[in-house]
Amino acid sequence: MRWGMVIDLRRCIGCYGCQLSCKAEHGTPPGVLFARVLKQEEGQYPNVRQLFLPVLCNHCEEAPCVDACPTGASFKWEEDGIVDIDPDKCVGCRSCMMACPYSNRYFNDSPQHYFEDGATPYEQARTGRHQTDVVMKCNFCRDRVRAGKKPACVANCPTVARIFGDLDDPTSEVSRLIKERGGFPLHPEAGTRPSVYYLPP
Amino acid sequence: MQQTRAKYEQLIRDLRGDLRPQREWCEGRGLFLVFGHFVGGVAAGAWLFSLLFDSRAGLGVAFALGALCGISHLAFLGRPQRFWRMAAQWRTSWISRGFAGLSLFLGGGFLYLVPRYLPQAPWAADSAIADAGYVLALAGMLVLIVYKGFVYATSKAIPFWNSPLHPAMYIAFALRGGIAALLITLALGGETAATRDLLLLWTAVTAVVTVFFALEMHAALTGGNPAARRSVHELLSGRVAIAFYGGTLTLGVIVPAWFVWAGLSGPRTLAAMVALGVTSVIGDFFMKYSMIRAGVHLPVWTRQTLQRG
Repeated sequence: MRWGMVIDLRRCIGCYGCQLSCKAEHGTPPGVLFARVLKQEEGQYPNVRQLFLPVLCNHCEEAPCVDACPTGASFKWEEDGIVDIDPDKCVGCRSCMMACPYSNRYFNDSPQHYFEDGATPYEQARTGRHQTDVVMKCNFCRDRVRAGKKPACVANCPTVARIFGDLDDPTSEVSRLIKERGGFPLHPEAGTRPSVYYLPP
Repeated sequence: MQQTRAKYEQLIRDLRGDLRPQREWCEGRGLFLVFGHFVGGVAAGAWLFSLLFDSRAGLGVAFALGALCGISHLAFLGRPQRFWRMAAQWRTSWISRGFAGLSLFLGGGFLYLVPRYLPQAPWAADSAIADAGYVLALAGMLVLIVYKGFVYATSKAIPFWNSPLHPAMYIAFALRGGIAALLITLALGGETAATRDLLLLWTAVTAVVTVFFALEMHAALTGGNPAARRSVHELLSGRVAIAFYGGTLTLGVIVPAWFVWAGLSGPRTLAAMVALGVTSVIGDFFMKYSMIRAGVHLPVWTRQTLQRG
């Protein structure tokens, strides 16, 4: 089994619901964004269109971050292909951040909170549980997936632009969409074989 | 909180741009990494040339620089107390290999140097323990000279560093730093016998470094990757230009080259040799700093992504 995601760029409306639901699910501190939405405008008035590109860890089959990590803190779960980080092993050398061609890793370098008055009770409960001085990234909400749920960004996407499934199963919806609609990964030239595919807008 | 807020705002600004500058390995505590890589290369080069020129003082300096390299790396790490874990992945990770190399270098160097500096040591300079130390330190030295360039060359996020020339350039820089460190050591010790050979070596290695650098710049500019092109622009006319022109070119090449010319064509003063070594070494630091600081992340959203639409 290899978990993967398909993101339909035609359906994405750039609402940032994935980014917010991810933050709520993981309680990530400021400056740590497991899921992001990139926005770009192209063309010239009046022929202009706005494009959105939601990005997250690509959970690559040939993950360069795993190879670059000197401690084994970055690793790949054999049973489902999810690339994860063991914060207890991370030394904070950030070599994985330099190895990731998608720039989807973040260094949580000090206790942070969003407001000047100090950490809110929510932040104390959620953000405070993350180790500082280590690298963090998306893990496809592995705990949720193991409990039979969808990742938070998938479950909360209002336009159903994100589809989650088994890439190894040729009959799964993700495999079907990639085949029928010409799904493409980002930076295929990097040879990382990502598990996140995009459907053309 | 102010500092944290400023860093957060900086990150958000960076993420909004198409070409995001690399900051983790050169700003804040990242400077310790730059210094550690720089001093590690000088240490390994100095060990090599000290063996070749049979300089006990040079070996001592190389060992001390190696220790400084280790301390500097520890100061950079987010969780230095877990440093021992870095030996785990030597099969795939160049950082892990570098850690192993530094450990061999320091361990072997200790075994080799102790009887040379302390005649009353428990083992003699011609004992099997000292010989084992010699071999271990030599192996560590080779790893230290080689691994750094590969750490950068295999960093897929920064196209500017993804050049097959990068490891070769780092090897050449380690040799150049080693020659400069030995020049300083010999001059401070009042030895001038080997300086002419070292000056010629410095000239040859600097010429090699310059050719590698020019080739790498040309490849980055013509290779078609916008991030690599931006890096070259940052280096030559952007936020790193002052460090590059002032530190790398002027202090690292022009000033020491003048000292070399003066030393080869006239009397060689000890002060001039020290000045040559010091400026060359400072130039090496700025070279590494500039190359690392000029790094720009591979843009996630490429022209190809849009064209698929």
